[in-house]
Amino acid sequence: MAEMWINMGPQHPMTHGLWNLRVKVDGETIVDAQPEVGYLHRGIEKLCEGKTYPQIIPLADRLCYGSSLTWSHLYCMAVEDLMKVEVPERAEYIRVLTIEMQRIVSHLMWLAAYAGDLGLGVGFVYTMREREVFLDLFQSLTGARITYNFPRIGGVAHDLPQNFERDTLRAITFFEGRLKEYEDLFEGSKIFMMRNVGVGILKKEDAINLGVTGPSLRASGVTYDLRKDLPYSVYEEMDFRVATHKDCDCYARYRVRMDEMWESCQIMKQALKKMPEGKWRIVAPRNAPVGTGLARVEDPRGEGMIYIVGDGSDKPYRVKIRSPIFVTVSAAPKMLIGYKLADVVAIMGGLDMCIGETDR
Amino acid sequence: MAQAKKKSSLGFVLQPMKRTGKTLANSLFLGKPNTVLYPYQKLDLPIGYRGKHIVDFKRCIGCSNCVQICPNDCMWMEKLEDPELGKIERPGVDYGRCLFCGFCVEICPTVAIHESVEFELAHRERSRLKYGPKELRDDSFAGKVKEERQKRLLPILDMSKCTSCEKCAGECPEMAIAMMPIENVGRKKPEINLNKCTSCKKCEAVCPESALKLEEVYESYFEMPEPKLLIKSCTGCSACSKACPADAIYMMEMPGTEKVLKDGKKGKPKKRAVFVLEKCVGCGKCFRTCKFEAIEWPGVRK
Amino acid sequence: MNLFEFCYGIIHWLVDLVNHLWYWLGDVLPWWFGDFFDAVGDFAASQGHLSVMTIFLEVVIVVIIALINVLNFIWIFRKFMGRMFDFYGPYYVGYGIGGWLQNLADGIKLFVKEIIVPAKADKMGYLLAPIIYIGSSILILATIPFSENFGVSTNESGTYVPAGALFALAAFAIAPFSILLAGWASNNKYTLIGGMRSAAQMMSYEIPLLMTVASVFLLAGSFGFVDIVDAQHDIWFAIPLFIGFLIFLVCLAAEVEIIPFDLPEAEAELVEGWTTEYGGMRFGLFYFTTTIRSYAGGALATALFLGGWHGPALIPDEIWFLIKAYIVYTVFQWMTWSLPRVRVDQMLGIGWKRLLPLAVINLMIAVALKSMGWF
Repeated sequence: MAEMWINMGPQHPMTHGLWNLRVKVDGETIVDAQPEVGYLHRGIEKLCEGKTYPQIIPLADRLCYGSSLTWSHLYCMAVEDLMKVEVPERAEYIRVLTIEMQRIVSHLMWLAAYAGDLGLGVGFVYTMREREVFLDLFQSLTGARITYNFPRIGGVAHDLPQNFERDTLRAITFFEGRLKEYEDLFEGSKIFMMRNVGVGILKKEDAINLGVTGPSLRASGVTYDLRKDLPYSVYEEMDFRVATHKDCDCYARYRVRMDEMWESCQIMKQALKKMPEGKWRIVAPRNAPVGTGLARVEDPRGEGMIYIVGDGSDKPYRVKIRSPIFVTVSAAPKMLIGYKLADVVAIMGGLDMCIGETDR
Repeated sequence: MAQAKKKSSLGFVLQPMKRTGKTLANSLFLGKPNTVLYPYQKLDLPIGYRGKHIVDFKRCIGCSNCVQICPNDCMWMEKLEDPELGKIERPGVDYGRCLFCGFCVEICPTVAIHESVEFELAHRERSRLKYGPKELRDDSFAGKVKEERQKRLLPILDMSKCTSCEKCAGECPEMAIAMMPIENVGRKKPEINLNKCTSCKKCEAVCPESALKLEEVYESYFEMPEPKLLIKSCTGCSACSKACPADAIYMMEMPGTEKVLKDGKKGKPKKRAVFVLEKCVGCGKCFRTCKFEAIEWPGVRK
Repeated sequence: MNLFEFCYGIIHWLVDLVNHLWYWLGDVLPWWFGDFFDAVGDFAASQGHLSVMTIFLEVVIVVIIALINVLNFIWIFRKFMGRMFDFYGPYYVGYGIGGWLQNLADGIKLFVKEIIVPAKADKMGYLLAPIIYIGSSILILATIPFSENFGVSTNESGTYVPAGALFALAAFAIAPFSILLAGWASNNKYTLIGGMRSAAQMMSYEIPLLMTVASVFLLAGSFGFVDIVDAQHDIWFAIPLFIGFLIFLVCLAAEVEIIPFDLPEAEAELVEGWTTEYGGMRFGLFYFTTTIRSYAGGALATALFLGGWHGPALIPDEIWFLIKAYIVYTVFQWMTWSLPRVRVDQMLGIGWKRLLPLAVINLMIAVALKSMGWF
C-alpha cells in the first residue's frame, strides 16, 4: 500500500480528549507524526482576569479534570506567594494528604483508560472500581467527586470530618492489597508485556532536550521529582522514594506509575500520623499587592507552574499556566516513528494525555 | 523475551484468567456485584455533599453576597412580598449554570443558605432549571444541620452613647482598641481590631454609658471590603442606612455640622452616617445607593 | 425416528391437504385448465418435490433452533461479562428471567435506526459484502447436526451431507472475502486497514486450523460428522490430540475475531474497524453473525474433538451436544475478557511461527496413532 496520512481524532475513542494526531503510515508502519492540539481551548487564562482571587479556584479545578486538586492547590500556592501569606501547618498536612490521594486517583484513571485501549476490558472496570473507594473518601471530605473546590487561599476549606482517618487507613490497606493483585492481570499477561516492552523508546537525552517532565522522564532514567528536588509544602518531612526505571519504553512508564501509587500510599499514612492540631484556614487579604507570584508543583503528569501578576486590586492582572502535557506531546514524533499503527495507542496512552490542561 | 514454549505461554494466559475467575466467583456466589441498582436503590450520600440549595428566609438578610461571589453568575435576588416578613429580597439559583462550588454557603454572613444532598435536578426544559427563592425555601433546616461555622462575640459600638472617655482603650488587655479621630468632627471614636479581640468582655464592663455591647457574629473566612465614609460629602439623606441589610449604618447628629443662621445662632446639628464595621457584611449596597459619592469602596476593580 | 421422517410426514400431510384443492379445480374447470391443475397436483405429490420440500423444512427447523441458541449465547456473553466485570449483566428487560429479552430490545432498537450508504462508497461492494458474510455463516448452521437423528439429511436412512465437516469448514472460510470487500468498499482509511488486517489474520490462521482438522479426519477415517463422532465412542479426540485441540481453539478465536484477536475491529485504534460505515440493522446483523460464527465454531469443536453427542443416557443426545458447545463458548468468553489485544505483527508471528510447526507435530502424532492401529 502506498503511504497515506491518517487522522486519529479529533473524534476518536482512543484519544481521551479532543486532539488530533496525524500519522503518515506505510502499510502499518508509522513514518511521520504530527500532533495537533487546541480543540479544547476555553480561554481560561483570560477568564481569570475578570474574577476575584477566590472565584478562580473552581476554574483552576477544571483545568485538568483528571487531577483537579493539584491545579487548584497550585493556584492557591501561587496566590499565597503573591500575597505573602503563611499557611497554618495543619492545613499543609491536609493538603499533602489530599494531593497524594488525588495522585492515586489520577493514576488509576490512567490505568483504566490504558488497559481499556489495549483491549483489556476487565482492567478498565477493576481500576475504576478501586477508584470509587477514593472518590467516596473525597466525597465525604469535600462534598464532590471530581472538581472539589477544596483548597483556599490561606488553607483548606474545612477540617477533616469525623472518622476520616479510620476510613482512609482502611482504604489504603485495601488498595495496597489490590495493587499486588494487579500483577496477575497486567504483568502476568504475556500479551500485555508483548505490547509494552520495547515499544515507544524515548532516550534520556531526547527526553531532557524536549522538556519532558513527570513519569515519562523518570521512566527514561532521570531522577527528577519536584517533591524531592524543590520541596514545597511539607514534603521535606515525608520519607519516600522517587520511582525511576531505566528502560525507556512503555513498560517502564507503566512501572513508574504503579510504583508512584505505592509511594503515595506511604506518604498518606505518614501525613495522617504526623498531622498536628490547629487552625486549618486563615483569612487571606482581599487585595493583592502589586507584584508577581510563582508556584511549581509535581502534577501526576509532570511539572505544572502558575505565574500570577497582581496589580493591587482584587482581581489578577495576568495568570499564566504552564501545562506539562503541552510540552510532552511535542515528544510524540520521536517516540512514534518506526513503530506500528497499533503502537500509537500504547505510546500515547502511556503519556497520560489530559487535554483540559493542554489547551486551557 | 523467551517465547518458545507453549507451556510458558499457557502460564501467561492462565494467570489473568485466574484473576477474572476469582472475581466471577466472588460476584456470583460470595456476595453482590459492586453495583447500586439506581434508581431503585438510592445512593448513600454524606452530609457535606453539595447539591440543591436551601434558603432560610428568616435568617437571610438579603445582602446579596452570595450573588456577588458566585463564579459563574448563577444567582439573582428577587423582590418578594412575604406575609410574615414583609418586603424582602431573597436569592434564586439557575441550575443551568450552577457549579455547585459552595462559595455562596461559605460567604453567607448569617448561615442562611445551605446545600442539601438532593441532586436530581434534570429537566427537559431549560427555563425550568431556574429555581426561584420560593422553591428553595425551607425555614427549618437550621435544626437539621450541624453548624460548622463558629460564632464570635464581638463588641459593637453604639456611637450615640459614646462620650470618648477612652476607658475601653485603657482596659483592653490585647491593646485591640485604638481611639481614632472622626473626620471634621473633632471627637475620638474607639476603633476595634477584630483580629486581636478575644471576647473577654472587659470593655463592655468598664464602659460607663454601656455603649459597647458584645454580640454574636458569625466568623467570616473571606476578607470583605470595608466601606470608608467621606464625611465631607455626606448630606445625611440616610439612603445608605435604609439600604444596609445588616443594620450596620445609623444616622447620628454630628456636632460641628451646624449651619450658622442669619441671626448668629447655630442651627440644629445635621445627621451624618455612622458605620458599625463589626456588623458590616461587605455587600456594597451602601456604595451603590449613595448618590453623592460619599462612600469609598477600596480596591475593587470593575 | 429421525428428522427426515418427521418432516416428511408433515410435508406429506400438507401436500395431501393442498392437493384436494388442485384436484377439485382439475375436475371443475373445462378443457386444458383442468389438465393443468391435475398436472400441478401430480407434480406436488411426486417424490422429488416432496423430498425437496422436506429438506427445506428440515433446514428451517435446524437453523431456527441454532439461531435461538445463538440468542442464548449472546445472553450468556453479556451476563458472563457482567459478572466478571463485577456488575450485573442485562437485568431489567425480562426482569424475572435474568434479562433475556434484552436481545430482542436491542434488535428492535437497531431496526429503527437510520441506514445510510456513504456517497463515495462502491455501492455494489458495500451492499453485497453483508449478504455474503451473513449468508455463508448461516449456511454453516444448516450443515451441523445435533445428533444422529436430528440434522439435515437427504433421505430416510438419515445420511447427512457427505463430507459434512469439510463443507462446514469451507463455508466458514468464505468470510474473509466479504470482510475485505466491505473494508475496501466503504471508502474509509480505517475500514481499509481493518479489512486488510482481517484478511491477513484469517488467512494465517486457516492453515493451522485445517491441518488440525486434517489430523482428526485421519483418525476418524471419513469427512462426515456421524463417522467422526462414532469414532470417538471410546475416547474423545481431545485427549490423544491434546495439542491439536488447543491449536484448534486458538485458531477458532482468530477466525471468529474475539479478543485477543479482534484487531480488525479494534475499537481503540480503528473505530469499529471494517464495520464503521454500516448502520442500523446491517450493523446488527454483523454483530449477530459474529456470535453465529462462535456458535458454529463451538459446535465444530464439540463434534470434532469433544465426542459430539456422546454422553450418559439420562439426557437426550441433542442436549449433550448443546451443553458441550455452551461449555466451549464459556471458556472462550473467559479467555476473551482476561486478555488484551495482540498487535498485527505479533499475531502473524503466532500464527506462522508457533502454531504451524505445532500443527505439523500434531499431524505426525495422528499419523503415528493411526498407523499403530488404535483408531
